Amino acid sequence: MSDRLPRALRRFFRHRAAAVGAAVVLLLVVFALIGPLVSGHAPEASDFARGVGASDLPVGPSATFWLGTDRLFRDVFTRLAVGARISLFIAFGATALATVIGAAVGIVSGWLEGTKVDTVLMRIVDVGLAFPFLLLVMALGAALERTTATTIFLTLGLTGWLGTARIVRAKTMQVRSLDFVVAARALGQSTPGILLRHVLPNVAGPLLVIATISVAQMILAESVLSYLGAGIAPPTPTWGHMLFEGQDYVTVAPWIALAPGLAILLAVLGFNLLGEGLRDAVDPRKD
Amino acid sequence: MRSIRARTELAVVLAGLLASGCREELPGPIGAAHGGDPAATPTRGGVLELASFADVRALDPANLSDGLAPQMLEAMFAGLVDYDAEGRIVPDLAERWSMEDEGKTFRFVLKEGVRFHDGEEVTAEDVKRSVERALHPSAPNPFASYFESIAGFADFAAKKAEHLEGVTTSGRYVVTFRLEKPDAIFLPVLGMPVLRPTCRSAGARYSDTWEPCGAGPFKLPTGGWDRGRQLRLVRHEGYHVPGLPRLEGVRWTFHVNPTSQRFKLTRGELDVMRDFLSPDLVAFQADARWKPFGAFESDKQVNGEAMNTEVPPFDNVEVRRAVAAAIDREQLRKVRSTNLHVMTRPVPPSVPGYDPDIPGQTFDLPAALEHMRKAGLAFDPETGRGGWPHPISYVVYKQGLSEGTAQVLAQQLARIGLRLEIRIVNYPTFMAIRGRRHQSAMGPGFWQQDFPDALSFLEPLWSSHAINDEDSNNWSFYKNPRYDELVERARREPAPERRMRLTSEAQRILVDEAPWAFTYGYRFYVQQQPYVRESAPHPVWSAELSHTWLDRAAGPVAARALFGGGARGALASVLEGRPR
Repeated sequence: MSDRLPRALRRFFRHRAAAVGAAVVLLLVVFALIGPLVSGHAPEASDFARGVGASDLPVGPSATFWLGTDRLFRDVFTRLAVGARISLFIAFGATALATVIGAAVGIVSGWLEGTKVDTVLMRIVDVGLAFPFLLLVMALGAALERTTATTIFLTLGLTGWLGTARIVRAKTMQVRSLDFVVAARALGQSTPGILLRHVLPNVAGPLLVIATISVAQMILAESVLSYLGAGIAPPTPTWGHMLFEGQDYVTVAPWIALAPGLAILLAVLGFNLLGEGLRDAVDPRKD
Repeated sequence: MRSIRARTELAVVLAGLLASGCREELPGPIGAAHGGDPAATPTRGGVLELASFADVRALDPANLSDGLAPQMLEAMFAGLVDYDAEGRIVPDLAERWSMEDEGKTFRFVLKEGVRFHDGEEVTAEDVKRSVERALHPSAPNPFASYFESIAGFADFAAKKAEHLEGVTTSGRYVVTFRLEKPDAIFLPVLGMPVLRPTCRSAGARYSDTWEPCGAGPFKLPTGGWDRGRQLRLVRHEGYHVPGLPRLEGVRWTFHVNPTSQRFKLTRGELDVMRDFLSPDLVAFQADARWKPFGAFESDKQVNGEAMNTEVPPFDNVEVRRAVAAAIDREQLRKVRSTNLHVMTRPVPPSVPGYDPDIPGQTFDLPAALEHMRKAGLAFDPETGRGGWPHPISYVVYKQGLSEGTAQVLAQQLARIGLRLEIRIVNYPTFMAIRGRRHQSAMGPGFWQQDFPDALSFLEPLWSSHAINDEDSNNWSFYKNPRYDELVERARREPAPERRMRLTSEAQRILVDEAPWAFTYGYRFYVQQQPYVRESAPHPVWSAELSHTWLDRAAGPVAARALFGGGARGALASVLEGRPR
């Protein structure tokens, strides 16, 4: 175990796509953190003095508005950066929640394979996976009085663990029959102890890969929800809603839709590349 | 990695398409055969192609339940009276009418020999049957209460009487309406499609399985209504006005989004367009080739911010006055300046009863802060202290214009210490919430005239009779006995000048007490092809088609446009699965 981590890190940093992914993600985080501070505009404030162009249409990119203004004459750059904060908060929060639930369910189910507990848990997963994910999330969103970043991340997190549970269960079943686990059991170690000390570290690699790719999926899911009007209520900026607001203006103010569109594309691409790099890095077959 | 490369390529292609789409030039319109010569003799024939992003749910005068239906009902059903091009009441199926008994009796003499679409003659009995069918409580008619002045209405609506006592016939062609009280809006209301005669196949009571059949200029052929997709009407050869209609038919296609409509128009597949995206409208208005053939409809709408006068803080008139003074309407107008114009009063300028001498609600931030102080909710803009301490739920429906204006409004009201919390719901939920008592503190108010008269706004929106626990039209649940009295007297007053004084005073009360903060009016823009003749916007109907004719040049007129449209046109072709 001790020299596997440095080997994995070396593989990761040699992986060109992973490096690109990591750079994109890093840039995204930096943009989210400092973007609103350097733009000089408030994300929800319309600027009717400087943000309105000819025929009362939004103004394009300029020294004042780096990415132009949107249909309500607000600074697109600032809204994009605040939207990045929200997207990342939701994506990381939902992924963390989904990963914890998925790992717990997967490990318990895999450990108790063939028992009633395993059967019940896996049928729940089957039903959940069979249900259209977006429909479920939209129904939950619609049932809520008012959707906020917290309700969205809870909704995505509480519905996004099913695939993780399946994969972790398979990996747990594999680990359970390995010699060191059998030895630990023979030495009388408690089940929770075995799960925490032996099983969890061995499923951590795949779990990390799933989580990274899941962040991308959560960003996409949040954007889709916002685009469809089931996301966070305005005026809070979200990439999906910005994309929706920009689509009608694509002929005269393409920056309104292009900015969030490219941001979603880059963020999803970045996390996917990162996930691919991590997958290769932790792949034991490459040891 | 292959999938990642493919995604990157897709992004580059999409970016390229978007960029090229932005540079494209609007294709020109398709010319008229006679070059727009006003003396050209109208020709008969051709099918007028129209489209809408919406759908029509019912085509029955007794179930007039959506905004698209009136123009279709106008094409299919003729009434005793109609509105002319200036919005005045003129006879239609009636040859003449007389008003007797100090405005309490209206006697109509029908034209003889007028035929329904099924060939039967329109008689006074048909008029009476159609009126009773539309006003019977079994019909889902949201406008029945407009006719409550007809004698015996209350008993008929309560199913205590089999027939409507106030509607009688004498002979084959005379029908009389007897009212319990004089009603100055009886004739304007009668011009609406609600009571228009229906064929005998409609029966004496409403049924939603009936095939629409009337005496209008166009009739529904078998299979002409493909619900949710299109409505095709053909010329009623027995129409009672000689030489009309000129068109062979009309076709409305439903659920066509504005972008598709725009491409259909420029390709010559649509003859008239009304649903514009704001940027497209800017392009059409700026194009000298299209502009002469476009026009705004008259302003028939009032929009505002409806405040629930039964819910804090809007139960305090000073807070409502503060809101009315805090709204910068010019900023709201800029959210969609192509169609919006600032409104500061309750009645649109083109509606009879509009009084330009009434001082409207105007933007005055210091005055708004003073009103907040008088309300005991003083707010200091410097420190942000004071104001109403709780967030105010502001409900809007998904993807409507008010989703945008609400965000600007929230910024404006924050300056006087009112924090809006925008909640977006679907349209049916929005309507349910807005019409339910004690449910919603504030939200967008909008109303379009049902008939061209100030009372079409003043009565249903702010009179206490329009308050219900559910489905209330009086969204602000506003009650003012003096206002109710003025509106009631205006409804009974036949003299136009005295009536104007009454409606003006009622409007002054609304401007002052502000159950709504009036904001803007919305005007539709209608763009036609140059070959569409005699189809100018009508003050009541969005389209009155009986005189319309097509002066389209012979040959494949769409061929030129097929190769226009740039990258967006290409993309639209691909999306629609159409070969280019």
